[in-house]
Amino acid sequence: VRNQQTLDKEVIYVCPFNGAVKGRLYVTNYRLYLRSVEIDPVVILDVPLGVIARIEKMGGASSRGENSYGLDITCKDMRNLRFALKQEGHSRRDIFEILTKHAFPQSHNLPFFAFVNEEKFAENGWMVYNPMSEYRRQRLPNEQWRVTFINEHYGLCDTYPSLLVVPYNATDDDLKKVAAFRSRNRIPVLSWIHPENQAVVMRSSQPLVGMSGKRNKDDERYLDIIRDANGQISKLTIYDARPSVNAVANKATGGGYEGDDAYPNAELFFLDIHNIHVMRESLKKLKDIVYPNVEESHWLSSLESTHWLEHIKLVLTGAIQVADKVSSGKSSVLVHCSDGWDRTAQLTSLAMLMLDSYYRTIVGFEVLVQKEWISFGHKFASRIGHGDKNHADADRSPIFLQFIDCVWQMSKQFPTAFEFNEQFLITILDHLYSCRFGTFLYSCESVREKEKVTERTLSLWSLINSEKAKHTNPFYTKELNRALYPVASMRHLELWVNYYIRWNPRIRQQQPNPVEQRYMELLALRDDYMRRLEELQITNNSKISNSSTSSASPSQMMSHVQTHF
Amino acid sequence: MFSLKPAKPTFKSYLLPQVEDKITPEPKIKKLEPVLLPGEIVVNEVNFVRKCIATDTSQYDLWGKLVCSNFKISFITDDPMPLQKFHYKNLLLGEHDVPLTCIEQVVTVNDTKRKQKVLGPNQKLKFNPTELIIYCKDFRIVRFRFDEAGPESAKKVCLAVAHYSQPTDLQLLFAFEYVGKKYHNPATVNGIDPGGGGSGSGQQTPLFETYSDWDREIKRTGASEWRVCSVNEGYMISTCLPEYFVVPSSLADQDLKLYSYSFIGRRMPLWCWNHSNGSALVRMANIKDVLQQRKIDQRICNAITRSHPQRSDVLKSDLDKCLPNIQEIQAAFIKLKQLCVNEPFDETEEKWLSSLENTHWLEYVRSFLKHSAELVYMLDSKHVSVVLQEDEGRDLSCFVASLIQVMLDPYFRTIVGFQSLIQKEWVMAGYQFLDRCNHLKRADKESPLFLMFLDSIWQLLEQYPSAFEFSETYLTILYDSTRISLFGTFLFNCPHQRVKQSTEFAISKNIQLGDEKGLKFPSVWDWSLQFTRRDRMLFHNPWYIGKSASCVQNGSVKSFKRTKKNYSSTLRGIPPSLKNGIINEQEFLPRRNSLILKLKPDFLQQMDSQTNSMEQYFREWFSKPVDLHGVILPRLSGTHIKLWKLCYFRWVPEAQINNGGFITAFHKISVLTDQVDMLNQSLRQYKSSSSLQANCSELDQSRMYFRANGLNDTAGTPDFLSSSFPFSPIGNLCRRSILGTPLSKFLSGAKIWLSTETLANED
Repeated sequence: VRNQQTLDKEVIYVCPFNGAVKGRLYVTNYRLYLRSVEIDPVVILDVPLGVIARIEKMGGASSRGENSYGLDITCKDMRNLRFALKQEGHSRRDIFEILTKHAFPQSHNLPFFAFVNEEKFAENGWMVYNPMSEYRRQRLPNEQWRVTFINEHYGLCDTYPSLLVVPYNATDDDLKKVAAFRSRNRIPVLSWIHPENQAVVMRSSQPLVGMSGKRNKDDERYLDIIRDANGQISKLTIYDARPSVNAVANKATGGGYEGDDAYPNAELFFLDIHNIHVMRESLKKLKDIVYPNVEESHWLSSLESTHWLEHIKLVLTGAIQVADKVSSGKSSVLVHCSDGWDRTAQLTSLAMLMLDSYYRTIVGFEVLVQKEWISFGHKFASRIGHGDKNHADADRSPIFLQFIDCVWQMSKQFPTAFEFNEQFLITILDHLYSCRFGTFLYSCESVREKEKVTERTLSLWSLINSEKAKHTNPFYTKELNRALYPVASMRHLELWVNYYIRWNPRIRQQQPNPVEQRYMELLALRDDYMRRLEELQITNNSKISNSSTSSASPSQMMSHVQTHF
Repeated sequence: MFSLKPAKPTFKSYLLPQVEDKITPEPKIKKLEPVLLPGEIVVNEVNFVRKCIATDTSQYDLWGKLVCSNFKISFITDDPMPLQKFHYKNLLLGEHDVPLTCIEQVVTVNDTKRKQKVLGPNQKLKFNPTELIIYCKDFRIVRFRFDEAGPESAKKVCLAVAHYSQPTDLQLLFAFEYVGKKYHNPATVNGIDPGGGGSGSGQQTPLFETYSDWDREIKRTGASEWRVCSVNEGYMISTCLPEYFVVPSSLADQDLKLYSYSFIGRRMPLWCWNHSNGSALVRMANIKDVLQQRKIDQRICNAITRSHPQRSDVLKSDLDKCLPNIQEIQAAFIKLKQLCVNEPFDETEEKWLSSLENTHWLEYVRSFLKHSAELVYMLDSKHVSVVLQEDEGRDLSCFVASLIQVMLDPYFRTIVGFQSLIQKEWVMAGYQFLDRCNHLKRADKESPLFLMFLDSIWQLLEQYPSAFEFSETYLTILYDSTRISLFGTFLFNCPHQRVKQSTEFAISKNIQLGDEKGLKFPSVWDWSLQFTRRDRMLFHNPWYIGKSASCVQNGSVKSFKRTKKNYSSTLRGIPPSLKNGIINEQEFLPRRNSLILKLKPDFLQQMDSQTNSMEQYFREWFSKPVDLHGVILPRLSGTHIKLWKLCYFRWVPEAQINNGGFITAFHKISVLTDQVDMLNQSLRQYKSSSSLQANCSELDQSRMYFRANGLNDTAGTPDFLSSSFPFSPIGNLCRRSILGTPLSKFLSGAKIWLSTETLANED
């Protein structure tokens, strides 16, 4: 990491767990680094500036009381940092300015750190996702589905990727007409096709029905073509991720949902997932009960009152329905919400994770994130607020975090089904904020292309794929084509303690995880025994060839073991 | 739903089995005969019964014969279990059987007359039942339908089940009949092994019925200033104490006899365990004699102090003052059961967390763990002896004494050690299993203290998966075994009751006892009575790191010796930046009234510094890597105390994770362990090729339930694994079927049905 050191100062870190710690604070264009002095063991803070949501001055020149003058930093990763300084000589002014400048480069006309990062990795993460190979992996195009380049220059839809898969029987002209009836031109396109029954998962934005209940023949016909494509007689199932009330309310702003009259061959269900504002408030409540101290007296009811797990449950439940409809119901499915870049991305990607074991591998999951989230225009820039000082922006929302939480819940219920471990998910979330990689920067492919992100920055997958062992789940058992349905019940959903409460040393679970650790030890032991056995066999074989008397040689005994070598 | 009317007194001996006017026997039905144990007799039976598998459809229902014996209700069928089945088999019970002592409530229904009746013993039934619902103590709900069965036979079976499952006399429990039969025909069946499961499991569990078991325990723990005392031989002093127990060497038998009058139930202090630093764990009943109280208390404490090598202080902990009582625990249990199995799954989802909190179950589990951990600190760090004091000293003391020893002594985390602990602190110390399990249906004394203890052990197992030799399946099956009235272990209120009752029984049945003190009942620790060798493998925790286990450190294999230095240094280790984590002040503050220090008043004044140093002790302990063969302490935050899902959800179809759950990782590590064992075996054979033949058989002796198919086995997850494994919810809870119908129908939470209606109204 190219670090330009810009500040070095003595401060007091007011740690909520250990009390005040005196230390030296270094600020670079990438990170804030604190090393304690005069205490043992050493306390170290290493925080990428990208995680900073807000920097506040606390106390004034005349404030009384110990450690009352300094800075209070709110982070995007469930913690706050507080530094106290000496009141004399405006000692916090320079540090405040430097932090503000580098934490919010977009607000200061500075580039993201990712653009000056000169790290080198063994792997090139930008090679992980190639839309054409991913569709080919899904055995597309085929007789019913074609790849279209209509959006090559983002002319059809500026928040969609350039490559799209659409029904073979719909012309590019049809697509243009459909785009006119879909919010932000986000037409229904294919996300995933079932290898056997050919049912598909489609995604889009809401139809522009409006108060007057407008209809669009092209959109209606287009959905019918989709329904027809897998040769099943069943209806097309539309999952509207929103609560029905919200969907109705959207009519007022020109949106809406597919009505029965206009779409007699479709069946519509609402999945009751709330909007980005509800999720943001829920996470805020969660932070209140876990940071800095865990609410102990009524932990379970406090947790319940945040509704965080309830939202997780609704997202998972929705995804299970999508997956089940496609897999058991053999019916094609269209998923949308309002714009089709938040809840829709959650639902399609989770359903695909349940249906397709490829996405449960490390590289497969990277492809999934690249495809359903990054290329289809989840607005990372505004949801995360990369480098932007406007911490109260109503566009911010932990939608992607919620998705990763759902993945974690699944990995808890299926300990052997995922190639990646918890650390993999945490690393992704850490770099969702860090701005060290270009992966999550900007909101859509068209902007990323303009900013030359793949040429000028590194991919997060470069880091992860260069140290795969660290992110691998030792219990992973490769399995093909098994649909995985988690139980989306409050009885099984748990708070992800190792993420949300990881800063609290008292709550954090044992690291490394003893269950994994023991397995790794046994693996090493097995390898060691095999090596020793091999050595013995070699020496023994030479002995036998010398004497050749023994009738029951150990190597005969162990023939079933030998097969390995 | 689970409240029972008090059982009315009833006649003492069972009716002879009635000969049923049989329905024309069809050839297919004819061979459906129950498998009976010695002494077991069929009381009543009815053919053409349907066992319901799901409430919403009869398509999976099984046809067969329902039999009520003096031991169990048995459903015998030729139909295979649909969809899923159990993956272990209890040798005493068929797949659909319920032991009578496991029955909580018997409900008969006539759905055409819309009548329902909870059947007590000796009751009349005015309608012909179309349905029989059995609510079980292990959370199952089993349902039978009699649509095609003879109405009279159905009624008789229902009455028989109600009557035989609610006996009023101890000697009516099946174990007596079984044991009596064994004594009558010692030749035809194997003699009863009263020991701790020596046959099959290799190692004998000490039962603490003899002088020598106690003596060995004194020596094992190095309690040199303590002696085994025989004053209660023949139960001459107390009928609720064991015949042998351990007391301070400085107390003479004469003194003990004298003091005993002052204690409730004459339950004088019993030694439990000694720390290697010399401090002892002792339990005793309250002193009822107010005048003598101070004096006796002083003498006892002095004697305990004298038995401490450093003459350390004695800390008395009054458990009644700081822990929930047995009624509160029972109330919590009823709420928990209600929540887990009785209430509709979907309706409890929204408020699940707060409802769970409102049961207080987890809060109570936490309070036992917390209090025990505080006393561990006293024994381990302050080097003081601890006396657990409780009214009779037969309930909370059993729990706390056991928990403290599990935390302090790794021996009690092995299977044999854990079993010996239950013998020592529960069975011998007079925990009233008969009353607390409510085998005789006197609801007011029922309390699931033993289950809560197993739950606390599960919490520790969950937190320290490598520290225990046994698995959670073992703990669950142990809980189930308290509901099988065959084992003497969980049948009585105290050892004396066994002797007295079985002697009476023997006389009435003309059994010659000879020198024996009462009849010998089989011990639950003889697991071969219940499970095959292979099924017992499920008891073994593949994560356990035994004393002699090898481990790899930085790629090289080392054999562990029991030195604290090198042990498990590979396990854990906190990144340096977090090493100075502290324990929240509130976390380990003792409740002031829970710790009463005796003898030295100045000790009391040090209370504040005590609190700080206790905090310090916990903080330091948690900052270090765990020594799995040393002390283990529970993490007590709300995020750490969890619901024991295998035990409470195993019958709930909606809660079952198919192809998933922790068991899939269990399977994976078992296969790997098996491979390591195989290799180890081969290596040893190479090294001692002379004894090649002798070792041959060892090859087949795997420790693991799940075995490796050679070294190339990549161990795909078997299809039958689920979060309920080895149990199965199918047919064990009257619930909607979850399999075979579109999954989305069972998804709760998303109010999609409501929404569709809303949508319809909209249009």
